[in-house]
Amino acid sequence: MNQVTNGALKSKKTSKKPEYSRFTQQELPAWKPILTPGWVITSFLAIAFLFIPIGLVSLFASERVVEIVYRYDQDCVPEMYRGNVSAYIRNSRTNKTCIGNITVPKKMDPPIFVYYQLDNFYQNHRRYVKSRSDKQLRSAAYEYSTKECEPEARFNKSGVLVPIVPCGLIAWSLFNDTYNLIKKDKVLNINKKGIAWKSDTKVKFGSNVYPKNFQSNDLIGGGKLNESIPLSKQEDLIVWMRTAALPTFRKLYGKINTSLEAHDTITVVLENNYNTYSFGGQKKLVLSTTSWIGGKNDFLGIAYLTVGGICLFMALNFILLYVFKPRPLGDPSYLSWNRKAVN
Amino acid sequence: MSLDDAQIVNVNNPQQLSSPDSTLQRQVLDLGSKRSRDSERYSSISMSHREINDGDARLVHVNDALKTNERFEFAGNSIKTAKYSLFSFLPRNLFEQFHRVAYIYFLIIAILNQLPQLAVFGRGASILPLSFVLLVTAVKDAYEDWRRHRSDRIENNRMASVLVSDRFQQKKWKDIQVGEIIRFSADDTIPCDTVLLSTSDPTGVAYIQTINLDGESNLKTRYAKQETLCKTPEKDVINGFIKCEKPNRNIYGFMATMEIDGKHLSLGPSNIVLRGCVLKNTNWAVGVAVYCGRETKAMLNSSGAPSKRSRLETRMNREIILLSVFLVALCMAVSVCAGVWLKRHENELEVLQFYRKKDYSEPEVDNYNYSGIGMEIFFTFLMSVIVFQIMIPISLYISMELVRVGQAYFMIRDNKMYDETSNSRFQCRALNINEDLGQIKYVFSDKTGTLTENKMEFKYASIFGVDYSGEKTNFEGEQRGYCIQVNGQVWRPKMKVEVDKELLQLSKDGNNSEAGKHIYDFFLALAACNTIVPIVVDTPDPAEKLVDYQGESPDEQALVYAAAAYGFMLMERTSGHIVIDIQGERQRFNVLGMHEFDSDRKRMSVILGFPDGSVKVIVKGADNSMFNIIDKTSKLDATEGHLQSYSSIGLRTLVVGMRELGVPEFERWQSSYETASTAVMGRVALLRKVAINLENNLEIVGASAIEDRLQKGVPEAIESLRKADMKVWVLTGDKQETAISIGYSSRLLTSNMHQVVINSNSKMSSKTSLEDALITCRNFLVPGGSVALIIDGTSLVYILDDTELEEQLFELASNCAVVLCCRVAPLQKAGIVALIKKRTDDMTLAIGDGANDVSMIQMADVGIGISGQEGRQAVMASDFAMGQFRFLVPLLLVHGHWNYHRMGYMILYNFYRNAVFVLVLFWYVLFTGFTLTTAITEWSSVLYSILYTSAPTIVVAILDKDSSRRSLMAYPQLYGAGQRHESYNSTLFWLTIADTLWQSIVVFYVPLFAYWKSDIDGSSLGDLWTLAVVFLVNIHLAMDVIRWTWVSHASIWGSIIATCICVIVIDVIPVLPGYWAIFDLASKGSFWVCLLGMQIAAVVPRFGVKMFIQHCKPSDIQIAREADKFGSSMELARQEIELNPSRR
Repeated sequence: MNQVTNGALKSKKTSKKPEYSRFTQQELPAWKPILTPGWVITSFLAIAFLFIPIGLVSLFASERVVEIVYRYDQDCVPEMYRGNVSAYIRNSRTNKTCIGNITVPKKMDPPIFVYYQLDNFYQNHRRYVKSRSDKQLRSAAYEYSTKECEPEARFNKSGVLVPIVPCGLIAWSLFNDTYNLIKKDKVLNINKKGIAWKSDTKVKFGSNVYPKNFQSNDLIGGGKLNESIPLSKQEDLIVWMRTAALPTFRKLYGKINTSLEAHDTITVVLENNYNTYSFGGQKKLVLSTTSWIGGKNDFLGIAYLTVGGICLFMALNFILLYVFKPRPLGDPSYLSWNRKAVN
Repeated sequence: MSLDDAQIVNVNNPQQLSSPDSTLQRQVLDLGSKRSRDSERYSSISMSHREINDGDARLVHVNDALKTNERFEFAGNSIKTAKYSLFSFLPRNLFEQFHRVAYIYFLIIAILNQLPQLAVFGRGASILPLSFVLLVTAVKDAYEDWRRHRSDRIENNRMASVLVSDRFQQKKWKDIQVGEIIRFSADDTIPCDTVLLSTSDPTGVAYIQTINLDGESNLKTRYAKQETLCKTPEKDVINGFIKCEKPNRNIYGFMATMEIDGKHLSLGPSNIVLRGCVLKNTNWAVGVAVYCGRETKAMLNSSGAPSKRSRLETRMNREIILLSVFLVALCMAVSVCAGVWLKRHENELEVLQFYRKKDYSEPEVDNYNYSGIGMEIFFTFLMSVIVFQIMIPISLYISMELVRVGQAYFMIRDNKMYDETSNSRFQCRALNINEDLGQIKYVFSDKTGTLTENKMEFKYASIFGVDYSGEKTNFEGEQRGYCIQVNGQVWRPKMKVEVDKELLQLSKDGNNSEAGKHIYDFFLALAACNTIVPIVVDTPDPAEKLVDYQGESPDEQALVYAAAAYGFMLMERTSGHIVIDIQGERQRFNVLGMHEFDSDRKRMSVILGFPDGSVKVIVKGADNSMFNIIDKTSKLDATEGHLQSYSSIGLRTLVVGMRELGVPEFERWQSSYETASTAVMGRVALLRKVAINLENNLEIVGASAIEDRLQKGVPEAIESLRKADMKVWVLTGDKQETAISIGYSSRLLTSNMHQVVINSNSKMSSKTSLEDALITCRNFLVPGGSVALIIDGTSLVYILDDTELEEQLFELASNCAVVLCCRVAPLQKAGIVALIKKRTDDMTLAIGDGANDVSMIQMADVGIGISGQEGRQAVMASDFAMGQFRFLVPLLLVHGHWNYHRMGYMILYNFYRNAVFVLVLFWYVLFTGFTLTTAITEWSSVLYSILYTSAPTIVVAILDKDSSRRSLMAYPQLYGAGQRHESYNSTLFWLTIADTLWQSIVVFYVPLFAYWKSDIDGSSLGDLWTLAVVFLVNIHLAMDVIRWTWVSHASIWGSIIATCICVIVIDVIPVLPGYWAIFDLASKGSFWVCLLGMQIAAVVPRFGVKMFIQHCKPSDIQIAREADKFGSSMELARQEIELNPSRR
């Protein structure tokens, strides 16, 4: 016996026996959830009871949003140019002013957002989104970093290539239609201040960067910029340069801080400068109020209601399933080898 | 392993066994390289039948390194295991790393991305993942290599004593050259492969330990040739040369001839000591270097084992090909659409504000980045490959490696697979087949040492027809075994044996009675006819010494210990004589010759010169080989009867015969023995012929019965394996009766089984017996009836030789519950494994402990070595090694099952995770004029599979357990999940793909419709998609996690938090276009509504289907889990396997 204990003591020193720990033995305390019928039904019902109200609230919010959409790109081309739109839009001497009327369907409370909407304009096109220089926009020191801006990077100023500020296709194609709204012969004031993100005006666009050589090449893509105003104050440009995610998009033009009554007629006096005719794009003016969910969009509400409804349906189905075809949890008769034995 | 387990192994070329058919044939010839277990025993047969011819030989001039190395063809003794030098590191390491297909794929994509036309990602983002992986691997390699450099330096600068101009001088190891004479002292490590010239022992014996070489700690004997013994290198000029084979990997074979002073000597493996061995119990030895440095056998053997690929991975690769087809299809779709779009807008491209084909800044207006529609389509295709690259989950390969390391960690650390007796943990030698352990269908097991302990104990003896199987005395208490007095010291055998009182008394009485005479012969034969070396070991008590019998065959050890217990104590053995203390009287016997054991003869013999001048040949061997050469007498019949009864209770038997040689016969034998053993050509065959001529007309001396106990837990383990629907086949070299009896005691065979026995001696008879067996088998194929097939090696020879018979055997065997193959040679073991592997898709596992199992272990899908009594060859060849057979149960049923489930789930999840991301990118491309813009930032794209989602899948694949250890052990049937491929199959793959499609649609289109016609910018929407996808894939994983430990919580929720942090960090860098987007986005209600809605809508179908299946078609695992949690017992209708009471 003595020998045995001696041996045991000795072997303990050199023993390779793995030290016991709950981790190495894979016995860490664990939560082992099993979704019992009760839990399954509860979770489906919970989803349903969460989603249906959210859906209803969203729909309600969306319904309360008043939205006026005025498409003007076709109406604003004079009769005589209808056959050759591109000659009209590219000629800087033609009169681009155009007048239209819109009616307010419901009372609109301030702030009322004025958007322009472009359809079929791929602001997310690969050639386009890459064509900008964020360094140049931010600081005058990086005026020459225009490498990413090709093909709108430099301007050939009498044989010397000078940088364009702001360079790139995005800036070059700046939207330049203008809107004036008149209600009962009184001009509605559209506030164009504060339409861009604060972060953009403060950080992303430099207050010491001034436009240079902008729109100087032969082919003009869009609006021009006042060279005496720094980029950080050019809010239209800043809004435009937040490239849209999708080919149909709106961009904020300004805000109206007075309310519009139902059945008010508003006269729109606009300058139809921007060329969307070359690619069959549409231009729309949009006046819209807003809610917590954003603009007028029923999709989320309907989606929530659908998912909630489906979950309710599933919960009912599972209740029926559990009632009519119950299976005790852990019932060994369902084990494959037991089923085989029964057969 | 025993004498009758044929001891053959292919050390030479383990890879050869990998392809079954043709190689097997070749093997038979090639396998001349029979395993020499110790000393001179195998010198004659150790190399193959071929002899050295001049072209294949190297000529070593003794003590003349210059002449030897005239042509500078032999390597010096400096070794270089390090792979790289300072300069070669970068190119070589990169070259080696790029051997992996995955990295090449990475590289090609990264290179494509560098072309200006195709630059989708920025430089940094595109190179980061690859360079990260390369860097980590390179640092690891560099560290390992630095350690190798260090150990090389230490090794090369060790000192050895080398003969230089007639004096032994210290020389660094690296300067030793072939042909130099080296002198070793006790406990020196041998610096290179050296042929012994002389040793401190007058008979030229040197003891060496080969633990560094093969892990065996037994002392082995090596001999210097008599002719060189007397030479002192300092004084006598040794003129001569050694002609030996070219360097090879066979550490158990060596073949050479030495010509010295005009005499021609043959050298075998017992004359060479190998690099890495240690000289023990010998004061000094002198030898001549024949192989140096990298040409030494130790170095040639240091290359790794061939790697296997797991079944799951093979299946996975099939699906990866499918995924590449998807990838190509996606890319084709995008490029074709892009072509159509360009064609339709061909005339507008110039004025389109968002395209503008021409560059006006140069004086010459030229196209900018536009080279015609055809090229644009081509570029779009390549760009889409770059954007969608992670559709092929390259990171999966890296994750799998990490996961396997983690799984191996837990297997090694498992307390339940630690063996106390041998103090050994479980070992994972192959790191890439963990998951195969969960799908095993066939288990091929060796018997001796695997099912049994291989601790032989002498039990009974039948001496000259008299059975001595009486009651045993307990040696404790009464007397402390037999001991002798030597120079005032007490020597006693190290191991004590229970003795039969009657027999002990008779043997003490000595030659006085007739029976005593036979007993004398019997024990003398046991003590003499073997290759055991007695080593005297000190004990704490100076007056007492222990005699340790060192030898490789446990049977022989048991016999010698038994002889010692009965008063025949072997005290000394040299190549020329042995000294045996017989009842206190020391006697010296000359060993005049010895015929080694070989697997053809299945016996060994020794020719002994007695003190009285007579010469006797003593032969010991397996019964069937002995009965043919023993004269038929009534005693023989009686012995045969005893043997029957011994083996029927599972004992291993050996028969001993003896004959006195007359002078003429002795002289005739001696001359032919000498000619044969110095023959240059066909020495092996000649020696065997001499042996066969001598071994005949013997007189029966007796038979011994040795017990080899079953290992602990074997019957229970086998029962578990059988319940788990695994077929357990036992392949043994033992006799049929022994095998059957072990079969009963290990519950492999039960009394209600019908036994079909096939013992045939010809092809025809095997054919008929196979056909008969098939018919019987069909008759018994009713529920409840089962058939056990017992087949012997001779029949297998004929059957495995013929494809048609092989087919029949397979059909028969697959219908049998149990297959027992007895008397099979090692190659047949591999052949049987190959038979199953060829014909089914089922996974095979082979488990064994001895050198004779190596071929089988390498042939099977999973090879397991038992690190037991018999050396470490099986372990070296195996994929996994463990101490006890019963650990197979936790290994397969628990770890194997977990590993399989985890790996299968991880692969599917990785497919899903990457595909869902790629599809979101793809849907977006459809709304960008097919131009491969990604709303998701390039950094998020790159980090997605590296950081955002990698940790949880790895953690879950290492830690999650689909069922508890307790249930898995209690219900072995649960193992069926792996056999039925329940965790990974093509149905699951397609379901996953369908689910992926749905989830990607939800993730992409919900925001699309929600933000259509809104003023959202690309970066914000991109952030929304990034977060949505990462949340979704993590929630998806969370839904499938079964055990939530803190680690899984931390990894899953941690990943989500890490993603949020990364997205925020990316959005606070002002020079990126998406500056501040996430804050703007999160301030709006629609973002939160969208995010929540997407997650739920995406997972609801999966949840519903999963719950439905769980309720209506629950898997076994599911029920076990429920039972485990809610404590209901699963005892009902448990199948009882009838247990046969042990027949012992």
